[in-house]
Amino acid sequence: MALPLEGIRILDPSQVWAGPTCTKILGDLGADVIKVESARRMDIARGDARAMPGGMGFYPENDPGVDPWNREGKYADRNRSKRSICLDLTHPRGVDAFKRIAAHSDVVVENYRQGVMDRFGLGYNDLRKVRPDIIMLTMASQGATGPEAAYGSFGVTLEQTAGVASVTGYLGGDPSTSGVLFPDPLVSVVSVGLILAAFRQRRQTGEGVYIDLSQREMTTSILGDMVMDYTMNNRAWEPIGNRHRTFAPQGVYQCRGSDVWLAISVETDDDWAAFARTMGRPELIDNPRYSTVIGRRKHHDDLDTLITAWTSVRDAFITMSTLQAAGVPAGVVAKGEDLVSDPQLVARGFWEYTGHTPAETRPYLSRPFKFSKTPGFTRFPAPLLGADTAEVLRNVAGMSDAEIAELDELGVTEDDPLCFVS
Amino acid sequence: MPNLASPLAGVKVLDFSQGTSGGVSTKLMAVMGADVVKVEPPGVGDVTRAQGPFPGDLPHPEKSGQFLYLNTNKRGVTLSLEHPTGRAAARRLVEWADVIVENFRPGQFAEWGFGYDEVERINPGAILVSTAPFGQSGPYRDFRGNDHIVQALGGLMYVTGDPKREPLRIGGEPTDYFSGFSAFSGALIALTYRDLSGIGQHVDVSAHEGIAVAQMYSALSYIFTGAERGRQAASPLYRVSDGQVGVSLRQQDWPGFCQMIGRPELEQDDRFKDMAARRANQEALTAIINEWIHDKNKQDLYHEAQKMGMTWGYICDTKDLMESPQYRHRGFFTEIDHPVAGRLTYPGMPLRWGDGVWDLRPAPLLGQHNAEVYGDLLGWSQEDLVLMRATGVI
Repeated sequence: MALPLEGIRILDPSQVWAGPTCTKILGDLGADVIKVESARRMDIARGDARAMPGGMGFYPENDPGVDPWNREGKYADRNRSKRSICLDLTHPRGVDAFKRIAAHSDVVVENYRQGVMDRFGLGYNDLRKVRPDIIMLTMASQGATGPEAAYGSFGVTLEQTAGVASVTGYLGGDPSTSGVLFPDPLVSVVSVGLILAAFRQRRQTGEGVYIDLSQREMTTSILGDMVMDYTMNNRAWEPIGNRHRTFAPQGVYQCRGSDVWLAISVETDDDWAAFARTMGRPELIDNPRYSTVIGRRKHHDDLDTLITAWTSVRDAFITMSTLQAAGVPAGVVAKGEDLVSDPQLVARGFWEYTGHTPAETRPYLSRPFKFSKTPGFTRFPAPLLGADTAEVLRNVAGMSDAEIAELDELGVTEDDPLCFVS
Repeated sequence: MPNLASPLAGVKVLDFSQGTSGGVSTKLMAVMGADVVKVEPPGVGDVTRAQGPFPGDLPHPEKSGQFLYLNTNKRGVTLSLEHPTGRAAARRLVEWADVIVENFRPGQFAEWGFGYDEVERINPGAILVSTAPFGQSGPYRDFRGNDHIVQALGGLMYVTGDPKREPLRIGGEPTDYFSGFSAFSGALIALTYRDLSGIGQHVDVSAHEGIAVAQMYSALSYIFTGAERGRQAASPLYRVSDGQVGVSLRQQDWPGFCQMIGRPELEQDDRFKDMAARRANQEALTAIINEWIHDKNKQDLYHEAQKMGMTWGYICDTKDLMESPQYRHRGFFTEIDHPVAGRLTYPGMPLRWGDGVWDLRPAPLLGQHNAEVYGDLLGWSQEDLVLMRATGVI
């Protein structure tokens, strides 16, 4: 089957989430992604080299096994459809090997703290010397320049410093962060297109480019109306819980069972009429307290009580279907199990099954887009640490077996993290 | 003369989308140099024109903050797809375009004669990008969805908020933007393939699937360990004199932190000796941090901790963002002059492109480029334009 990005090679020292998820999508669509780690500094998403059961990692059957770094679920999801090589980039021979691979690569994607690649001698200007039309995407937390360029971040701190947390929180309560670390996946998905825009430029002009993406700015860029309200009206937004800035009612309502909830959002007067009828309360439609959005906003608390009385004795999934059939926006608040069995996700083939062995085979997340002619798919499971080192050095970097053996002896390509654990 | 960044120069985009998700995707393309023609319904225009925010809270179709932000660098025309003459004109625009973006309810565009098969007949290399809350197929295809509903069904909401309360949504419209970013990347993947093969295709973007990708932990926790990931107590945010600060203490941060708070003896305290011990004694630790931190200033704490290598944050509201020295240094916020709304500050492009500068231009007035686009592409005369306007086509 044709894959749209066949023939593109990505050299990928990126770590953790935003970078690896971007390159995973490129890999699923046919790019040759070479992930660079080292036994001394493997992707921290691989977890502890000596992980214990019951820790933070997601391991099949809760068993970290003898090589937990090859078994962690988040790592496995974000790094499938890639090859893995180990290169110690603090060693000059590791740097040399990286450059020799870069000379045959189209793109380098990295998300180290600002300055780290330069210190390795692998900054954009270094790489341009070996590959003049290289495309480099740096996704530092604050961008590559400015007084905070060297500051670190996690998804959870980006939600704070980019403004998302300032509008997230219960009505009347403090700002708070999400349970999802939303900036990471957000940055990963847009980065796919940025890299391919650079490719287009290269096809047109023959020139590569250095892309300096700020994860913090990218996260703020999803708050256009919030920023514009400030620049227009000097107004700072506060959390409004699950309510909508305009429509009403909107909320999350308890259903039958433990911790089971249904999200409902009434956008228009017609929605309100359909909702009231579905609840068996047609008299509410023309009740002046609720018949207009002004009234529904004013009496939102009363509506929440009234809606909860109706939902709390009902099944969430059946009620969602009933409301949707009446044209009212409603959706079950999905847990992990609900996602895996979600009829929509299953029908569209969202889950892709992979694993190194049949026992390890599990559903993994696919992509937010489908292509009618070049679908893309999980081509192979996440690589074992260093599984492709020798092959890549031989076939991409053009090294002789003697050179490869020498790098191994020097420890540059060491791929057993346990030899660095005391 | 600065070097303009325009990696997508020469790409022709026909944008039928309304609202945020489609608007975001074509905004990125437009700022990156593509020629984006945004098609709006005659009369009222894009739905965001009515939604604000508006200066002084006075509604005006040319002054909606969300519309102005989402539509920079685009050309704007009006066209009624309800009208047979409008659909005939749209077919000729489809012939012109490399990429066509739409986010009508699934099936609507096909009913108007623009299903992918038909688009392919009109323009074999065209890329049709459709975004919808649940995509173009499946049992939920016709479900009504918006940001709130997609956050729920996509798995983002269940894990957000207080474990003792109801699930909570992320503020703003994060799923619409996620969907827009997905449409942008989906279009570029298809365009890459088309440039190499000459083959166009249909790109089907589902906001629901985007959020199912974003949530990650809920599904993987269940798939790998069988355990549901609950709502986590949010990462510790501490109240300080002028806001809230996010305190993160990794193993290697602990000695420096003890010095920072003037309690070096805590470094030897068994209650806090490692991550597990600190988690077990979280209450005692929280009390110690609160006592030290409550009267301090959020920005001082953030900068001091970051300079010590600790990954802390602080809650920034819009004022904090506008005043951020980092954002100022990088010139993230940008002034754009608009003929009706005037000179306003917008969030700019969140990335830099080599040594090029982004050329940010104002959003189009409703129908601003009718004469230009219909004249150049369809050969309509001034007289034709008057007729089309009078008959409600444009």
